Amino acid sequence: MKRIGRALYLILAFVLLYLPIVYLAYFSFSSGKDMVRFQHFSWVHYQVLWSDKELLAIFLQTIILAILSSLIATAIGTCGAWGIFRLRGYRRKTMLVLNNVLMVAPDVIIGASFLICFTALGIGLGFFSVLLSHIAFSIPIVVLMVLPRLQDLDLTLIDAAQDLGAGRGVIFNQIVLPEIMPGILSGLFMALTYSLDDFAVTFFVTGNGFKTLSVEIYSRARQGINLEINALSTVMLLVVMLLAGGYLFLTRQHELALGARS
Amino acid sequence: MKIIELKHVTRQYPDGFTALHDLNLSLESGKFYSLLGPSGSGKTTILRLIAGFDQPTQGEILFNGRKINDLPAAQRPLNTVFQNYALFPHLNVFENIAFGLKVKKVPADQIQVKVDRMLSLVRLEGFGQRSVQELSGGQQQRVAIARALVNQPKVLLLDESLSALDKKLRKTMQFELRSIQKQLGITFIFVTHDQEEALAMSDEIFVLNEGRLQQSGSPSAIYDEPVNEFVARFIGDSNLLMGHMIRDFEVEFDNHRFECADAGIKPGEQVQVLLRPEDLSLVAPQQGKIVVEVLSQLFLGDHYEIWAKDDAGFNWLIHTVEKAPTKRCGLHFAPDAIHVMRLGESESEFDQRLSQYEDNEK
Ligand SMILES: Nc1ncnc2c1ncn2[C@@H]1O[C@H](COP(=O)(O)OP(=O)(O)OP(=O)(O)O)[C@@H](O)[C@H]1O
Ligand SMILES: [Mg+2]
Repeated sequence: MKRIGRALYLILAFVLLYLPIVYLAYFSFSSGKDMVRFQHFSWVHYQVLWSDKELLAIFLQTIILAILSSLIATAIGTCGAWGIFRLRGYRRKTMLVLNNVLMVAPDVIIGASFLICFTALGIGLGFFSVLLSHIAFSIPIVVLMVLPRLQDLDLTLIDAAQDLGAGRGVIFNQIVLPEIMPGILSGLFMALTYSLDDFAVTFFVTGNGFKTLSVEIYSRARQGINLEINALSTVMLLVVMLLAGGYLFLTRQHELALGARS
Repeated sequence: MKIIELKHVTRQYPDGFTALHDLNLSLESGKFYSLLGPSGSGKTTILRLIAGFDQPTQGEILFNGRKINDLPAAQRPLNTVFQNYALFPHLNVFENIAFGLKVKKVPADQIQVKVDRMLSLVRLEGFGQRSVQELSGGQQQRVAIARALVNQPKVLLLDESLSALDKKLRKTMQFELRSIQKQLGITFIFVTHDQEEALAMSDEIFVLNEGRLQQSGSPSAIYDEPVNEFVARFIGDSNLLMGHMIRDFEVEFDNHRFECADAGIKPGEQVQVLLRPEDLSLVAPQQGKIVVEVLSQLFLGDHYEIWAKDDAGFNWLIHTVEKAPTKRCGLHFAPDAIHVMRLGESESEFDQRLSQYEDNEK
């Protein structure tokens, strides 16, 4: 009884969460102009989307921004995690708390503080400022994904490498890095999705010249209902689902490898 | 020639626990040494200090007479076989063994030759491309040994390297290790808490307890002449009794006086007496030195383990190749089967006394 109740609850929750998304995607295939009644199936909004060169450019910019910022954030975050890992006692705790505060701080506050910071430093608002802030807010999540892997690392492997004459660089590149790779990949995927769907921070730090999809969708949605947005959202949804699927696949592969090991 | 010396080495951990107290060790080149002691006695701590993963809080570590306290592990000409092998899981057997050579930028063709030679030394020819995770425990261990030996260290440190193996493989590996050591002439420092293993393999054994060196010496010296109760109990089975000296070469215990081989102790001094179970034999009651009653006997394949009680109530452990002749029988032993130990005598005091009365005899 209890089990059925729990299953029902889960199903209900998922239906509630997914309903608006499915609803939105559903109307992207309607030939009508609004979401009141589904007319009949057509690709018309996707055709409009395809010919909207401005939107496509923004789409591309968003992707480039996401890839660039997540790669840089992963590199910095991994080194950061290694640094925190090598700390002991209260210093380590302090660093972890600082990292976690960044994770839970509201986007609005982070965005606003970036804005203040950039204007104070005289950094112009545009691609560069957005990139910087995306890197900055992605680093803590990378640290958080990599650190547990480091904690699982068998420390005698490091002793063994040292024993065989390896210096710090070799130890990190050849021993530590391969062992924590799954954590780094998770961090990369998380940073990628964080960057793709960020609205609040970007909204603060972007100038006239540069827009990301979420900012653009927001400004268009404010102008009234346009099913082209629905089509765009559906495409984005697909991209994110592919990313999530790829991520799941990679972690599954790794777990299989781990299973073979033990 | 001394290759490694520890002088007054103390290691206190940050939590205040002192794992080693004023330890002095001195190791000669080309010999097989064992560090033997119960769990927590500080064996791994000593290895980590010698390997350079840890530094002593006091004292000096010398390598060929040169102080190496601050030399990083990577620069010490010694290698370690870790208790858990610590093979690199993402590298195959060949890459694991080649790791140290690659780090030292040895040319690839030489690496190939050296690794192949090692693989045949540890009898793993053709295993080079295998993943180390597919190997059995014994094979992994041999890879770990090859990975250390390929660097031609002056000293090889082995931390309980055989403890995970079954008895048969363990015996084979003991033999192989010993022959590798003789063949290459490397100094081995072998950590174990298995006394049989230490007795079988070592030129010299260091017995440790609670971070203090109890005794050092050849396996037979340690077995036949333990300096104190701890060593006597830890190495081999033993019958330990309290008694006192009557005069030189005569001791009283168990309400009888016996001729013995020990001297240099004040008459009347309290002593502890050790008799090894295999030095005892059972004879007819009137022929024995003590009359005992057999309580139990167990056949263990190559000998009988017999428990017998004497009139004073002491339970004797006896190892013989033959069954007890009767239920009541005599216990016989030679005078030099009795080993007399003074209470609280240190190793150096013991050595001093031994040399004194040996001089007197001449
Ligand atoms: N980093 C540390 N901090 C505090 N105490 C430690 C530390 N490492 C070891 N010890 C303590 O030092 C003592 C000796 O440890 P060590 O590992 O040398 O023992 P061992 O002889 O190798 O034992 P085993 O046979 O169980 O491996 C133990 O009591 C242990 O708890
Ligand atoms: Mg140990």
